[in-house]
Amino acid sequence: MSSEQPVVLNVWASWCIPCRSEAPLLRAAYESFGDEVTFIGLDVRDDQESARAFLNEFDLDGFEHFFDPSGAVQGSLGRGGVPLTMFYAPGGELVERHFGVIDERALALNIDEILRRGP
Amino acid sequence: MEFTLLWAALSGAAGLYGALWWMGRRDTSLCVRDLWEIAITAAVVGLAVGRVVAMVRGGVNPLAHPGDLILVRAGVDTAAASVAALIAAGWLTRSDRFEQLDGLTPAAVLGVAGWHAGCLFRDACLGTPSSLPWAWSQPGSSITRHPVELYAAVLLAIGAWALFRLRLRYPAPALVSGLGLALAGLVRLITEPLRPSLFAGPVWWYGAAIAIGAALAGWSLYRTGSSDTQQSPPPLQ
Repeated sequence: MSSEQPVVLNVWASWCIPCRSEAPLLRAAYESFGDEVTFIGLDVRDDQESARAFLNEFDLDGFEHFFDPSGAVQGSLGRGGVPLTMFYAPGGELVERHFGVIDERALALNIDEILRRGP
Repeated sequence: MEFTLLWAALSGAAGLYGALWWMGRRDTSLCVRDLWEIAITAAVVGLAVGRVVAMVRGGVNPLAHPGDLILVRAGVDTAAASVAALIAAGWLTRSDRFEQLDGLTPAAVLGVAGWHAGCLFRDACLGTPSSLPWAWSQPGSSITRHPVELYAAVLLAIGAWALFRLRLRYPAPALVSGLGLALAGLVRLITEPLRPSLFAGPVWWYGAAIAIGAALAGWSLYRTGSSDTQQSPPPLQ
């Protein structure tokens, strides 16, 4: 992944209960840092109708989301579970790969880390 | 599944129990078992209420998604949790409120210190960037940061010891409880700017805790002073 902006990639699914729990934090992060950080969602092993309902429920439409019904893209990222949140510095360096539900502190700290790292 | 949060909670519980045990050996008027049960019950009530409030504020209906309640990592509303825990502790100690709360407060403060120190289990101690000699960095990073959670742990531990000593020397009802509440708010207030956050922190809540705690301590001193004046022996004739 290469981008001039830092990137937060969140792997989620509408059937995933922990994803539901961290969704409000991701929305808050997007509202706070959306101008400086690119937020990308990767919806895996899901159906589009449920995914759209999830995005509407949590008002996550501001993200750019990609649909991975087979989980092939997710598999290439390393580990199969959801949620998974990855933080990339400008230029594409992977700074942190957070498996499982992310908390506010870890989210804020890693966003701060990728904002401060140069390409 | 990660259990780092559980280890941090156990670190807090160990701090609480260790302090109660230590205090109980030096002050036989303390009923350690009762205080332990009150503290744990209040903490569980606070955690549950804080989680429900965080869910509601995040747009998740707790009735439709009761399973989300246990996902405390996704957020606990600090202010709601603190208020609920204080109300629960107040209700549980209703028969002898300030005597028990004053006994519990130093241990509770040390328990909170233990929770903050539990960041070492969670790999979650770091805050804003710093070039101070004791600052350290995340693995793979050259950006050194304040170990802000350890600052809070140290300040609270020192405060807990001071509160325990104060209670032994000056047992005015509600004085230690008030100062403990003010101390907890003060430590959060002064360390909050060093924490990375998605939100503007609930600073006014910390200010409110300081004000309420200080008012309680002031009321305690005033009441004790009045009582001393009324009960002073008559002058010799």
